[in-house]
This record gives sequence, C-alpha cells and structure tokens, in this order.
Amino acid sequence: MSVLKATNVNVSYRRPDGVLAPAVIDAAFELAPGGSLGLVGESGSGKSTLARALMGYCRPGGVITSGEILIEGRDIRQMAAAEMKQLRGGKVAFVPQNPLSSLTPHLRVGSQVAEAVRVQRGCGRQEARDVALSLFGLTNLPEPQAIYERYPHELSGGQRQRVVIAAALAGNPKLMILDEPTTALDKTTEIQVLELVRDLRKRLDTALIYVSHDLNVVSEMCDRVLVMLRGAVVEQGPTARVYRQPEQEYTRNLIAAVPRIDREPVGVMAPSSAPPLLTVENLGFHYPGRGGWFTRSVATRAALEGVSFAIAPGETLGLVGESGSGKSTAAAIVSGLLAPGTGTLRFAGQELAGTARARTQDQRRRIQIVFQDPLSSLNPRHRIEAILARPLALFRGISGAAARARSLELFEQLQLEPRLLDYYPRQLSGGQQQRVAIARAFAAEPDLVICDEVTSALDVSVQAQVLALLKQIQQRSGTACLFISHDLGVIRQVAGRVVVLRDGKVREAGNTQGVFRNPTDAYTRLLIDAASRGYGNLPDLAPT
Amino acid sequence: MALRIDAFALRKPAAILGLALVTIHLALALFSPWFAPYDPTALVGGRAEAPGEFLLGTDVLGRDYLSRLLYGGRMALMVTFTGVVAAVSVGSLLGIAAAYFGGLLDDIVMRICDIKLALPGILFISLFITGFGESLPVLIALIGLVYFPGVIRIVRAQAITQVGLGYVKAAQLRGEPPASIIAREILPNTLDVVYVEFAIRMSHAVLLLSTMSYLGLGLSPPTPDWGLMVAEGVGQLSFAPWLVLFPAVFISTLVVGLNFAAEALANALGMDAARGYVGGV
Repeated sequence: MSVLKATNVNVSYRRPDGVLAPAVIDAAFELAPGGSLGLVGESGSGKSTLARALMGYCRPGGVITSGEILIEGRDIRQMAAAEMKQLRGGKVAFVPQNPLSSLTPHLRVGSQVAEAVRVQRGCGRQEARDVALSLFGLTNLPEPQAIYERYPHELSGGQRQRVVIAAALAGNPKLMILDEPTTALDKTTEIQVLELVRDLRKRLDTALIYVSHDLNVVSEMCDRVLVMLRGAVVEQGPTARVYRQPEQEYTRNLIAAVPRIDREPVGVMAPSSAPPLLTVENLGFHYPGRGGWFTRSVATRAALEGVSFAIAPGETLGLVGESGSGKSTAAAIVSGLLAPGTGTLRFAGQELAGTARARTQDQRRRIQIVFQDPLSSLNPRHRIEAILARPLALFRGISGAAARARSLELFEQLQLEPRLLDYYPRQLSGGQQQRVAIARAFAAEPDLVICDEVTSALDVSVQAQVLALLKQIQQRSGTACLFISHDLGVIRQVAGRVVVLRDGKVREAGNTQGVFRNPTDAYTRLLIDAASRGYGNLPDLAPT
Repeated sequence: MALRIDAFALRKPAAILGLALVTIHLALALFSPWFAPYDPTALVGGRAEAPGEFLLGTDVLGRDYLSRLLYGGRMALMVTFTGVVAAVSVGSLLGIAAAYFGGLLDDIVMRICDIKLALPGILFISLFITGFGESLPVLIALIGLVYFPGVIRIVRAQAITQVGLGYVKAAQLRGEPPASIIAREILPNTLDVVYVEFAIRMSHAVLLLSTMSYLGLGLSPPTPDWGLMVAEGVGQLSFAPWLVLFPAVFISTLVVGLNFAAEALANALGMDAARGYVGGV
C-alpha cells in the first residue's frame, strides 16, 4: 500500500468578494513507502498549497473543495479532529521554509522538541528529554546538551532548521513534507541540511515530499518529480526522465532557465585592458555599534577589510559571496549610500566622495543602482511614468512629452508594454517591477550600474528573461556593471571577471571562466562544488 | 496619489451610521445661524420651560435651548477641528522628520513626547488654562498640544518602516534634498495613517472639550457650549432633566459618529483599527 495516494485534489482560496479561486486543480499522484517526490513550479503554481493540503491544512481562506487524500489507506478528509491531530506531527511531519517562525522565541529549543516527543509518544518528561537529545544527535547538531538549553535566536539558520527537523522526527513519521526548507539558507549550509535529510531518510525509511523552486536540489533529493503550472499538474514521472526528456514546453523552459556555472555564457565582454572606470582601493568598513545614551557602543566585526577591485568601461564584474560576506556593503559604498571607513574610490579618473550628496550631480548620474527587492524599490504611490520621469528630469533635463517618449523607448528595450506606464507598481508582476527598476537606472544614461542581487527575488524563468534584457540594454549603451549575487550560476552567465568575498575580505579574483574552472582558494572551491551539485540529473538544455 | 479605498468597508451598518451622524452634525453646525430659531444668548422665555412652546424648552435663564445646542455644536466642532488639524499637521511633519533624520532630532522629538506622556492630562490642562486664561485661541492651542505627541508616535512608526526602502534610497542617490524626499516619497505613504489619526483624534477632542467646559476649564458663559450646558443643568436634574439629557445626546451622537467613521475609514484604507490607537488625554 502506498504511503500517500491523492486523487483529484482541488483546493480553492476565497477571494475578498466571496468568489472561490482555484489554487490546485485535480492533482493526482501516489507515493510508495520510502519514496521521494519533488513538487516544482513557479511561484503561484500551487505547489505549497498542495503540500499543505496533503495534511488536510489550508492557509486562511483556503478550502479543499474535493478529492481524496489517502494516508496509508485512510482518507484524511473523513478523519475526526482528534485523529487528524495525531496524524500531523505523527505519521506526517512538516518542515516549513522559515525555521524561526516555527520555533517559539521564548522557550528553549530542547523543551520545544521534548514537548513534541511527549505529545506524539505519550512518554514522561525524563524520557522525552532523552529522546529529544538523541534526536539532536541524529540531526548532527553539535553538543546536543548545550543546544538543548539554547533559545531559537541563539542558533544559526542551519542549526534552527536541524532543530525543526528533529521536532518533525518526534512522531517517527512515515512521510515528511518539506516546503522549501533550505531557501533561506546559504548554499554551503543548504548542502549540509540536504545531506542530513537524505541520510535520515535512508536510516528511518521515511517517504519524502519536497517542495522547491530549485530544480537542482529536487534532482538530488527526489526519485520522482511533479511539475505544476497555475494549479494544474502538467507533468510527473521519474526525475531523471522528466529532466532529460521533458514532455511539456513549460518544463523544458524551467530546466533551460536554470543558470549554470558549466554553461558557456553568451555575449559576455572579455576582460579589457582599457583604463578602469572605477577603482576601489583598500576599502574597509565597520558598522557602528549600537549604543544608547547610557550604554557604551560595542565595536562590531569589520564588514569589509582591505577590499580592492576595478571595473573597466562596459564590462561586468561579478561580486560573489554568501550572506555576511560584505558584498551588499560594498554595493552601498560604491553607490554612495554609505561612506567608506577607509580606502579610496576613483571614478573616471577622479576621486569619488563618500556619500551621494557629496558627489557632483554628474557623478550621481553616472553611477546608478538596482536593488534586490523590486516592489520596495518603487514608490507604491507613484505611477510608473512618474517614477521614470524623476531621473529623466533631474539628470537629463527632459520632461513632459519628451520624457514620456524616452520612457517608452526604455520600455521597448526592456520589452515592457507601453500601457504599463500608467500603472502603479503593485499592479505589476515581480519581473515587470524589476524591469521598471532597471529602466529607472538606465534613464539616467549611466556609465556604471550596480545590480545588488537583482534577480534573487524572482522565479528562475523570470530571472533568465530579466538577465537577458539587462545584458542587452547594458551592451547597447556600453554601460559597465557591478553585479552582486550569491548565485554562481548567475554570475557565470553575466560577469567576465569575478571577485569572491568572504567575511569582508577578497578570497579570490580573476577571469570568471578561469576562477570557476580552476579555483585556487579552498572556499571558492567549496562554493563551486555546492553550486554544481545536482547537475548529474539536470541536463544543460539550450534556452529557447 | 492614490489611496486604496475598499468600498465594501464603507457599506457596513456601523460605517453608514457613523458617516450619517457626522454629516448631520456637520450640517447642523455649519448652518446653525439659519436653523436656530433665536439668538442663543437672548432671554426669550421663562426659566427652564419644558419642551413645548420652545421646541426643546428653555434653560435656567430663559434662553432657547435648541438654539443654544445648535450654536454649541458649531463652537465645539470649530475649536476641535482647528486644534486637531494643527496637532495632526505638526505631529505628522515632526514624526516623519524624526523617522527620516534619526539621531539627535529623533531623540529630542521622542523625549518631548515622553514628557507629555509622563504629565497627567488634567494637571497639564489646568496649569495651561490657569496660566493663559480661557480664550478661544488658548483652547485651540491646548487641543493641539494635547494631541500632537500621540500623532508623532504613530506617524513616526509608519514612516520609519520606509526609510530603509529602495525608493527612498534611490531618491537619496539621485541627490534629492530631504524636503523633497519627505514630500514625494515618504508623506504619500503615510497619508492613510494621517487621515485615520485625524478622525480618531477628533472624537477624543470633542469629548475632551466638553469635559473641560463641564469642569469650568473650557469656554465660559454665556458662550453656548454642550459641556457647559450639562454643568448648568446638573443642579436642575430633579425637575428639568432635559437640560442635561439634550446636550448629552448631542455630545454622544457626535462622539459615537466620529468613532464609527474613524473605524470605517481605517477599514476602508486597509488598516487594522485594533492596532492600538491609545487615545485619551
């Protein structure tokens, strides 16, 4: 008998006006004991909604309208409340994306896991404590005794996710549902957590449902994969088969859109020997410690230390690193949001002042920035036309009909429909918003555009499109780019040269192809290994 | 600038009742010179006549009660409206400025709020009135002073969430002056909070002004004022209860109406009214 059998499951959300909007349409699949299934699709495709529905749960406003969900032969939609309670966290365990929100902040993590053990196994306090400690051992948490006494905020992201996984194991689950469990983690931490989940599955013979937007991870973790598009299951089968011979154009595009470090990039400018446009020398920065009137401020670790790099006109320099590496601090300093602590910036042969207000209007025009979160970078109260009109008026001195014409030109280059000019930011999709943010930067006709994780909030397929358009408009205008990303695959596709940062220091720098083929630094090698995992199953399909 | 207004929220019974009450009161106050049958300060009848010949009777001196009630609302709304507009404008600007500039300005502004919060309301009001006397400008200034710290706290909290956002950073990088960033980027995104603040403070202020007049700290006779009329009527409660009842009904319908309208406005703007508008003196 299969662990899970879903037949024609339908889930809808009630909109404010009372109409039911379908989120999952006729989903049907089966999962054998100990099997593993990946749910993939773009955001809004219904994969998370389906995963939750498998435990009989919906987000507020959601309702399972029809279908049969059999867990070991029992239909969860027929279960009484008590039986359902026993099922969740018992036979079926769930691990969400954000571990911090699933741990109570004011309780020690040990007692939280012990409580789950007591509820699920009906044992005494002392025994529950012992079981919790052994679960911490099982999930490879260092020094289980010490971790037991900690509060959630005292743990790292990876440790928190291990604690949540330990709690999920409290009821000896037959099925574990993981919803993007590593999306909030760094790549190197992600690898460790994935390693752990795989190892646990083998040892405990648990079936796995893994929801992810990351096709690499799914190819590594799951034997079977189910592809969703706007609530419908468009394709399912063995992972290797689906990835190698996708039946649907949609699946094929998803695979082709994955940025890979082993794919030869198209149209990346070769490193040039021209005199650099921007030179950053010996940059250092400390965030000021937080202190009040009566408390002494505490010095913090350097966010940047001795960082130097240069960008030639028209080229793209990739700045790569994990969270806390200082890459966004570097972006803030070059753009003029933060004044450097030590070191010098030179731009087009001239000394560059620390903050934007101290720079000349012409320098401000020539350096533009695009932020990570597209929605919050556009003022929700202004129409798109007004958002683009501002830099056009300030930097190019054009307004009225001329400004609208120039905006339309930018829109055409970024493949945005002209009617969107009259919309408000919230009426646009994430990809459209980010293209507007790019248009705003290029409206100033800059020499250098700083791109700070510009695609990390977007779906892979949208990311591919935005990157292609960015590359196009950049080359047409001959603009240089400082491209900051944690994703090596993306860096490989856009940057001719790369600088690898860790803990505020440069670990390695050079030609992207060279660095990615033969890294000399151990940390760089670790990053590259982490990025290329899962390629075994994931073919390098040419983008269409 | 488009505020998103949810029309559904304005169709709830409480919202309709609130907006209707406020509209009626506004109309009565605005057109009281035309509606009022007599001069509110003229002696036109016998002392404390029961409703009948005079629609709502006369007061203890023989003045027409309906006329006094109508003119009383005009006075109450004029004083509270001017005072609250001052409190909300000054409070919003200081709140946004404190959020945007941070540092010393933020410290100073917030300490001023703390001082105001630490002072018992009634004590502050009596000291102020004793010091400056009971005149119309003093009362308006007092209402402004009582409410602006609360507005600062709420608006600052809303503005501070925007200071780190991309569109504010982008404006800074364009080299825009702070005044332009505040006016173009931050203020439009706090307007919903500002409007609701205004509506809520209005209802508090009407009640506060009546309370002050009742206690003899507000407007002085012979000015028609609801709180004053309640105070004058209390002695006659046993044989002329309408002298207290009518002004009480006028005060409570206006306050209830303003409260419901404020809540409807908050809902329509997608805000959570329960998010803790700690009002009062």
